[in-house]
Amino acid sequence: MLRLITTLLVLLCSATGGNVLAHHSFAAEFDNTKPVELTGTVTSMKWSNPHAWIYIDVEDESGNVVNWALESLSANVLVRRGWRKTDLPAGIVVSVVGWQARNATPTASIRFVTLNDGRTLFAGTGTASPATE
Amino acid sequence: MLVRSIVLITVFLSYFTGTVAAQTVPRTASGKPDLQGIWQVQNRASYDLQSHTARYDVLPGMGVVLDDEIPYQPWAREQKNANFVNRKTTDPLSKCFLPGVPRIMYMEHPFQIFQAEEHVAITFEWTQVFRLIYTNGQQTMYPGFNSWMGNSRGHWEGDVLVVEVTEHNDQTWFDEAGNFHSDALHLTERYRMLDGDTIDYEVTIEDENVFTRPWTIRMALHRQTHMDRILEYQCQAELEEMNGDFERDDRTWYPAAIPDDNEPFDADASIDLPELAVADDIPRLPDGTPDISGYYMADAGGANYGLETYSGRFLLPDSRGVVVDPPDGLLPYQKWARAERIDREGPHRGYDDPTAHCFVGGVPRSHYVPAPFFFLQPPGHVVVLHERMSYRQIFLDGRAHLPDHIRLWQGDSIGRWEGDTLVVESTNFNGKSWLNEVGDVVSHAQTIVETFTPVTASQIIYRATVSDPITSTRPWTIEIPFNREDQEMLETACLEDNNDLGHLRDVRDEYRAAQKTTP
Repeated sequence: MLRLITTLLVLLCSATGGNVLAHHSFAAEFDNTKPVELTGTVTSMKWSNPHAWIYIDVEDESGNVVNWALESLSANVLVRRGWRKTDLPAGIVVSVVGWQARNATPTASIRFVTLNDGRTLFAGTGTASPATE
Repeated sequence: MLVRSIVLITVFLSYFTGTVAAQTVPRTASGKPDLQGIWQVQNRASYDLQSHTARYDVLPGMGVVLDDEIPYQPWAREQKNANFVNRKTTDPLSKCFLPGVPRIMYMEHPFQIFQAEEHVAITFEWTQVFRLIYTNGQQTMYPGFNSWMGNSRGHWEGDVLVVEVTEHNDQTWFDEAGNFHSDALHLTERYRMLDGDTIDYEVTIEDENVFTRPWTIRMALHRQTHMDRILEYQCQAELEEMNGDFERDDRTWYPAAIPDDNEPFDADASIDLPELAVADDIPRLPDGTPDISGYYMADAGGANYGLETYSGRFLLPDSRGVVVDPPDGLLPYQKWARAERIDREGPHRGYDDPTAHCFVGGVPRSHYVPAPFFFLQPPGHVVVLHERMSYRQIFLDGRAHLPDHIRLWQGDSIGRWEGDTLVVESTNFNGKSWLNEVGDVVSHAQTIVETFTPVTASQIIYRATVSDPITSTRPWTIEIPFNREDQEMLETACLEDNNDLGHLRDVRDEYRAAQKTTP
């Protein structure tokens, strides 16, 4: 948990995020008119390139559970920014903000991950600094 | 008889003492065996490490495993047998995934070894994969961070290069027969030159999750004297071009002609750019050449999202623009190419960007995608290793370019030092690359003159002048600083987990379907 706090501080202090999708066009895959805010339970995280993927179970108003695939930074960028594989274990509850895929699948490019204690990690898409919005 | 006995005894002793016959082995300036060159096995290990008879599309061969036995645990032997049965669909290589080590070393593709004082690089024909072996004692910054090709750290034991390869994932196989391992794999490679044209290559394989004891493979690597550079075999790109998933563009791909209605190309229109001052304290090699070796990241100014200046784009910081000639910062497009560039920015074209398919970036794009690269300066070459698993080999020996009809993603690069600036001329491009995600346009006809000037110990100023009479009315130049960083290279195994391409294809297909139904 100390590592997570350190990571948080590093990430919040970093304003050099730049765009991080970089292997494909954001606008071609995701729809900036479809912002999503999701809260769910982490089922797994895949540490892969060109993007790491976080999978969460989200329950909708009808009680149906949908597993969302959340595209993040590349594993290489995450590890260089201080993330470690132990930081997002399966079973913890997170909230994310991002944009849904144009093909309307439960897929989103996410920008921030907020843990249930309120702390926020920069996860991808866009810049690390909200000031540049 | 006596002479033969003495020779045999000498060979025997040298094998166990780690020294080799000095008179037959080329050596580097520091006295190490010089492994530089192009190498390939002449065996059938890629089909099956063990002795095997022929099957349809499998060539027979004697084994390279000492004792010809792989000591599987019982459950693992069953797994191996299942892998064999299902190999046509489950072999990672059938999907063009990274082969891993040691498999990449005995595939039927040549590779080149580059040897500098602190690093050894191995660049492979197969999909522009490379290995970077640290021989300077540097320990990994990211222990436990697994990858397809593993993490290679080497040292010399006498005349033998010993490389420990760790941090593997559990996704690669040893051969087409389904021999496999877990992520506990630990390799110890030994490279021992027997003579100028032969390396004795031995690997001890340990994996307590899969095997009952360590086991060893051993084979000869043969110098490929009939070739003077590695060409490209882009596995996935070739597959997708064959099956239609990656579509040809007749306007830019080789051998597209200059369109009849193009404006004339003014080759002499370039302006003189300011000369760059080089600091007195830049590091230098023993011969006085600037030492630019190491890890760099481009301060790219948003070039991967547009070479010209832009602002107000969703989620993107404003770009400073990197075009320094023409002075207005705009690319001097032919009219059709500007229209194509605008069309490519549409969501329906995102699928067409080769890097969305995980193909190599091309030149100059490889230098300003947001991923680091590593310069190596072995004798006679500058080698650039790009973290996105591609490389450039720049020859400094004054050789001629490849024949015109040999076309490559990364082009053919010939370089020279002019004072403290590395000047590189590149030709023989295939015209398949985009210059960035918004699709700045270039064709196979481009020739590129790049300059790499180390202005300080920690920064190179990079300029690339592109002359392309198919897409442009005159040459244009970009300028981007490269900053040296205290980091280490990782691996970007892009294709293996590319979940995006299907989404991009959906968007394209939906657009095309709508076009068909629109009168």
